Amino acid sequence: MRDDKPGQKGSYGRVGLPVATQYVVPKRRRAMALVGALAIVLVLAWLGFDWFMGRGNLLSNGPLSSSHARLETECTSCHSQAERRVTDEQCAVCHEKYGDALGVYSFGAHYVYRSDDFRRLVPSEHEVPCFSCHLEHEGREAAITAVTDRQCFDCHPFASLNVGHPEFDFAADQLPDLGSLAFPHVHHVREVMKEEALEDVERTCLYCHNAQADGRNFDPINFDRHCDACHLAATTATPALPVRQEGGTEPGVDSLETIVARGGPATRWALYTNPNEFRRRGDSVSKVPVHHRDPWVLENLRALRLRLHPDAGLADLLTTTPEVAESGYRQLYREAIVTLEEQALGLRGRPEPEVQSDLTKISDLLAELKRVVEEPFAALDESQFLLALARPNPDLTAEERAQIEALAGELTQPCRQCHTVTQATIERVQADQRVLRRAEFDHRAHILETRCLDCHGAIPIADGARSTEPVDPAVDRAEIQNLPTVDVCRECHNPQQATNACVTCHYFHPNKGRRSDLLLYLE
Amino acid sequence: MGTFSRRKAGFERRHWLFAIAVLACVGVWFANVVLDEVRPGSDWAIGYGAAALALLAVAAAYGLRRRAMKVASRRGGSSSAWLAVHVYGGGLFLILVLMHSGFRLPSGWVTWWLWILSWWVVLGGLGGLFLQRWIPRLLTSGLGVEAHYDRIPELVAGVRERADKLAAQCSPAVQEFYLRSVAPELQEPRRRALYYLDVTGGIQARLRDFTHLVQFLSHEEAESLRDLSRLLRTKLELDAHYTLQLPLRWWLYLHLPASLLLVVFVALHLVSVFLY
Repeated sequence: MRDDKPGQKGSYGRVGLPVATQYVVPKRRRAMALVGALAIVLVLAWLGFDWFMGRGNLLSNGPLSSSHARLETECTSCHSQAERRVTDEQCAVCHEKYGDALGVYSFGAHYVYRSDDFRRLVPSEHEVPCFSCHLEHEGREAAITAVTDRQCFDCHPFASLNVGHPEFDFAADQLPDLGSLAFPHVHHVREVMKEEALEDVERTCLYCHNAQADGRNFDPINFDRHCDACHLAATTATPALPVRQEGGTEPGVDSLETIVARGGPATRWALYTNPNEFRRRGDSVSKVPVHHRDPWVLENLRALRLRLHPDAGLADLLTTTPEVAESGYRQLYREAIVTLEEQALGLRGRPEPEVQSDLTKISDLLAELKRVVEEPFAALDESQFLLALARPNPDLTAEERAQIEALAGELTQPCRQCHTVTQATIERVQADQRVLRRAEFDHRAHILETRCLDCHGAIPIADGARSTEPVDPAVDRAEIQNLPTVDVCRECHNPQQATNACVTCHYFHPNKGRRSDLLLYLE
Repeated sequence: MGTFSRRKAGFERRHWLFAIAVLACVGVWFANVVLDEVRPGSDWAIGYGAAALALLAVAAAYGLRRRAMKVASRRGGSSSAWLAVHVYGGGLFLILVLMHSGFRLPSGWVTWWLWILSWWVVLGGLGGLFLQRWIPRLLTSGLGVEAHYDRIPELVAGVRERADKLAAQCSPAVQEFYLRSVAPELQEPRRRALYYLDVTGGIQARLRDFTHLVQFLSHEEAESLRDLSRLLRTKLELDAHYTLQLPLRWWLYLHLPASLLLVVFVALHLVSVFLY
């Protein structure tokens, strides 16, 4: 308890301690500043030592990831000498093959995204350097390739698959399947189930739709593998077709002997065709069996087409019509190149001046086409292939045209069970149409969770397979895109269930798989 | 009364301003989380860092003001206002540093030191603020003596001298008691941790011996013994001052050198960020 009375509490209590006779000088606390200064000097000395020893990594923001760990003592590997900042050019030293037309990791490759459409190369104001997404100096365990969705939102202004993501192009634009075959799925499923004694409808799917080795996609439908067992049997034959007479005006087909005697580009197949496949009766001939892509049928069809459209141009180099999706224009040029090379192969070694002249023209055309194909920014379009077909032969009357088209129809009668023939040309069958080209879909990952027909339900295969009732062609035809829309994906990919992050389906760098090809890198 | 009311009102205004600033930081943070990725290199984080830097400069200006009379003499506000800015600005500085780093642990050598020093300086400052509020209150709550820290050894010597003289005039019994129980205590100032828990720390217990002895003495001797008791009490209270004023003197050694080092590391961080 305090022992003071009112008025007596003072600085020195009851005992009356003496007042200081001199001012008590407070101790200087320079030591504080000296300690701080000494610590600063030590820190700066340590930094200087680290800098001049050539390491300079004390200023580093942290250890590099394990993939770059070897570069940790060489700051200039990434930080350019001049600018000190990390530039895309520094990244490209290791991550781009010298001479890539579009750097694999560039924004250009992202804009094009395997579409081969270089008109998509329109720079965006939102382009950022590599390090903006791939943060380094986060430690050895940092996943620098794990980029969040936020980086996508600057250019793609929707929040996720479930909020604002647009409908897939094929559904939004109502794009038909370009298969151009007469193909009812339900009928074929029923037949396969019956033939193979299958109970499971989805197992029937796998009978034709063969998964590729990695399980991501399926091999394109191939006649020889998937259709030959049932179609174009040994007894499939053309009807009796009139043989073209020399000097005659009636349309007709060329016999094998005529084609062999005529020779010419791309007729080498005639030398190896079995003449017993042809049945001659007077002025008519029929062929049995008819093979898939039968060269005799195609050669005669080509001749009929030339009569209808003499200025065929590049279209004459194709065996089918040229209609393709925009991403397939380059394919037309490649087919034309293959035809020309076959033609050149057939003509080589022949000394005749006119043959040599033809060879020269073929070589020139080949060179031009190859240049166009290899030029990434070349303007490709199908008009060079279509234009010829739009110019009919002015010397033919309507009746003559009708006769030629009728003959073409009879010639391709076995083909027309599945194919469509217009203007004496078989319509192109595009077996492998990548409609979701800007997304990455792995079937293997999905097949563990769902079954085929859970997503591919546009055609009523499941219901039709177990029924014997005929199916309305309006709901079961080849033009129907039997693919899931974005709503089907959202049934599982949503905030409560499977991930709906952008990177689940979309790569920013679509061609980065090429980096695994060492031969490509060492070229 | 009027002065007390004005001081109370000013004190509350500072609290409100700080609370508003913290709420603003929380609001900005949530906006950041919604609108952009939270990471140290983002535009938001650079903004937080710039704000933290500004607050650090303002907080450091308090130290300069104290040492530069030209600055102090200008109309720049009162010392208490500057101190308030220093304290609240420093607290806000730490919050902004954490926002700048995305509330993540750092990964580099410089950034680790920045992080550690930021916590050290701010917590040290808050600790010092607490000591400056608590210890004076403690000292005035239970002691009858006030003494300047630097004078305590001198004052203890004076008390010892007076006690020696007084004891020399007493009976042998009192002298023996003095030599055995009192004189050792008066040799020099002593620090006892107990004073932090109880500012009167054992004083009453020590004086109980006097109470027991005084009943066996004559009136004059008893008076002398009471004087000795008062001298011992004074010495023990000086010990309390000696103990409790020490942190007030020394806490700045934890705060100031670290804050100088913090400024240097901030400069290094700025250099590395702008350079690379």
